[in-house]
Amino acid sequence: MTLNSYYSIAYLAVFLPVVIAAYTAVPKKVRWAVLLAASGFFFWCISGKLLIWLIVSVISIHYAGIWLSLLKEERGRCLAEAPKGEKRAIRQRFQKKMLAVASGMALFNIGLLTALKYTPFFAGNINSLLSGLGIEKTLPVPALAVPIGISFYTLQAVSYVMDVYREKIPAERNLFRLALYMSFFPQLMEGPICRYAQTAHVLWAGERIRFANLVSGAQRIIFGMMKKLVIADRLNPFIKNVFSDYMSYDGGVTALAAVLYTCQLYMDFSGTMDIVIGTGEIFGVRLPENFRQPFFSRTISEFWQRWHITLGTWFKDYVFFPLSMTKPMKNMTARARKRIGSHYGPLIAGAVSLGAVWLLNGLWHGAGWHYIFFGLYHFTWILAGSLIQPVSEKLCRRLHIRRTGCAWQAMQIVRTAVLVCVGELFFRAEGLRAGLKMFWNMVCNFRLDALADGTLFQMGFDRKDALIVGAALIFIFVNSVLKERRVCPRQWLAARSLAVRWALCYGLILFVVIFGAYGVGYVPLDPIYANF
Amino acid sequence: MMEKLIKILEEIQPGIDYHTCEHLIDDHYLNSLAILALVAELEEAYDIVIPAVEIVPDNFNCAQQMYALITKLLEEE
Amino acid sequence: MNIKNILKKTAASIAFLTGLAVLLALVSAFFLPKNNMKAFGMEEPSANGILGERADSIDVLVLGDSESYSSISPMQMWGQQGITSYVCGTPGQFLYESENYLHQAFENQTPKVVILETNAIYRNFTPEAAVMNRVENLFSIFRYHDRWKSLNFGDLSGSVNYTWMDDFKGYRYNDAVDGTDGKGYMAFSEKSAVIRERNWQYVADMAQFCQDYGAEFLLVSTPSTVNWNYERHNGIAELAGACGVRYIDMNLMSDVIPINWAADTRDKGDHLNHAGAVKVSAWLGAYLKENYRLEDHRNNPDYEKWNESLKRYQKAVNPGSSAL
Repeated sequence: MTLNSYYSIAYLAVFLPVVIAAYTAVPKKVRWAVLLAASGFFFWCISGKLLIWLIVSVISIHYAGIWLSLLKEERGRCLAEAPKGEKRAIRQRFQKKMLAVASGMALFNIGLLTALKYTPFFAGNINSLLSGLGIEKTLPVPALAVPIGISFYTLQAVSYVMDVYREKIPAERNLFRLALYMSFFPQLMEGPICRYAQTAHVLWAGERIRFANLVSGAQRIIFGMMKKLVIADRLNPFIKNVFSDYMSYDGGVTALAAVLYTCQLYMDFSGTMDIVIGTGEIFGVRLPENFRQPFFSRTISEFWQRWHITLGTWFKDYVFFPLSMTKPMKNMTARARKRIGSHYGPLIAGAVSLGAVWLLNGLWHGAGWHYIFFGLYHFTWILAGSLIQPVSEKLCRRLHIRRTGCAWQAMQIVRTAVLVCVGELFFRAEGLRAGLKMFWNMVCNFRLDALADGTLFQMGFDRKDALIVGAALIFIFVNSVLKERRVCPRQWLAARSLAVRWALCYGLILFVVIFGAYGVGYVPLDPIYANF
Repeated sequence: MMEKLIKILEEIQPGIDYHTCEHLIDDHYLNSLAILALVAELEEAYDIVIPAVEIVPDNFNCAQQMYALITKLLEEE
Repeated sequence: MNIKNILKKTAASIAFLTGLAVLLALVSAFFLPKNNMKAFGMEEPSANGILGERADSIDVLVLGDSESYSSISPMQMWGQQGITSYVCGTPGQFLYESENYLHQAFENQTPKVVILETNAIYRNFTPEAAVMNRVENLFSIFRYHDRWKSLNFGDLSGSVNYTWMDDFKGYRYNDAVDGTDGKGYMAFSEKSAVIRERNWQYVADMAQFCQDYGAEFLLVSTPSTVNWNYERHNGIAELAGACGVRYIDMNLMSDVIPINWAADTRDKGDHLNHAGAVKVSAWLGAYLKENYRLEDHRNNPDYEKWNESLKRYQKAVNPGSSAL
């Protein structure tokens, strides 16, 4: 069976039911083994022998954890024996040692990721640099196979080691528990990036599958399938046409493609998250949410607190704060604050750390200059937002604009969405040069001819497609508005009568069956985030 | 000592009632940059070192939590 | 959880799934093409033209991929031997599709001979596709869901009436010439190309099905320098032996089917063109007539439509002359 996506029949109709059945059939004590075996099998089906890299990672952090806990014990003994005056020195000595172990192992894992994923990129760039300098030598550009989900599980590995070092969690002695935390099959391909304290123990506990969880997990999976099959896949031909042959379309079409691509990316990724989190729910595991209605954000900074949340918080906890909390940075912040005030003071140190975060964020998405550009693009807007915030506040006061008013907030939401769409244009473009050309084309050549004369609907996306996608988007929009109003749509559903609940479920299933873009004539979109 | 903390907070981000607000981080009253400023200020004011590991929402969501953190760090010294 | 609770939940689940099945069956009926023409949403109209043929009128059924509809011309065999045959061939046909056409044909027809063109046997498919095919056979909504764009009220009424007949009976005429050398592609070999277990099973099932319905099942390799070689020949020979069916490899019969590879192919030996198909059909018609005692229906008034089709066919393939 080709078990290569969460949307495949192999996964939904065979693999998942079999795992659920096996999980239920075995005694509670060994249920973890069912999950671990299923995860290993899933990984093997996609990446085969590359499984070895995951095992290497698991063993390395297991070893690091135990090493750290031994150091901790030794520190305890030394502290007990030492006279009062020396305690601080002892603490510092051990702190240094432990930091070396933790960061050593973290770097080892990141090194693996870099070597497997980025070697071709770096080698290629060095080669063009060499040839630019007139040196005839070239480095070989190896075509390395990248294990599935390495970008996701490596971040989990680093967070585990750092959390042990920070003494937020005790070191894990059981290798299998650590392996399950690293490889739980629903989150393997596209995250969410979990912390050890969030999932490891629930996964291990082997709680029985509850009927209510099964039902609500299944509901969420179908909701995710709608996002992906009805919207993301149906948009695919149009987006593919415009982005691969970008010079033959005018600015209006390009702009629409940027908007629709943003839509597709959101539907693809959040739809997958619905399937992933729904699967977790079936097993009683609450995986962290990755999205919180991102398109209601009023600033780019807020957008990133609502879009791919687990990646954002990872960067905040393991890059941004550690970097800004280093001695020199702290001193800089304190001094700058005295001179230029509480707003601009921390911005200097903050900008350095933010820059690092966004460079890494761009690179994390892939080895390519357009990804780096994408990261720095968002960095620029976030920094600019902070810089002009006091000015804009003052200006608003002068002009008597109410910043809490509806109109102002709507303007902010639209502005943020536009900026995001432009960013995604670069993100999707086939290389940085193509992205710049498309952007230029969009701005200088903006026309609505294609919409006026109807040629817009002859690019693999006709009026009826638009109607269905529109209907599905309205459904999701209503769902999001409810969530924004702090009404949980699923609790609302659970409180309805049986007839309403069933009718809605049937309706959703039939909607996906009829309007899904699958079967003859459709090429499903590859999962976008699984390649990062 | 609590009043000293509130004064620092008001200096960094005015316009919030720090006596009552319990979701400074979760409701986005304090952003990452404000936290940077706050940490620098607290370290200077109380002569403590706040390690990066303590920068979690649970320690900064309200004034009481920050107070507890400071007390804890002072004791460890 | 007590017993009562479990029972209640089980009952609810069964009720829900039954309701879903009923709904799927309903929309399936709604979405099913109500006629066998492209305009009604029918896929592969030329292969499904058989649905429009009079019941029990087809004696020979041909299944297979593009090789089948490029090399076998039922109308020529009608003109020469009076045999009624139909090619249910589709581009890149998978064996599960061949099986669908086989079962579909037997619903309304009683062919005496079933021919499977062997190139499809070497076309691999995922078990997923096979499973999906069975689901589609059960609930055709999964196959025809994309018709939502062209549904009308006629589809609601639900009665199916297949009216369209293909004058070419599934054969796809192509007179382009793009020749090749074609020498030595059937060089002798002891080895045999492996047939996947799944594919093997499908062929065995089809053979069994034909036996159960009293039809002869025949494996035929039509000439193709690109797709055929001696190893594949050996593989199919083994399969035919195991299933107890006859195997004809036209690639080894240049004495009776003299394919001129410079002129009889339309794409450098991949497919035959019309000139090649004429040679294959001439031999095949004679062979079927001789070995399977098939009736000559040419003078039977019930088959008048075939003679009408033949006239149109001849006009189309021989624009210059009127005789075959």
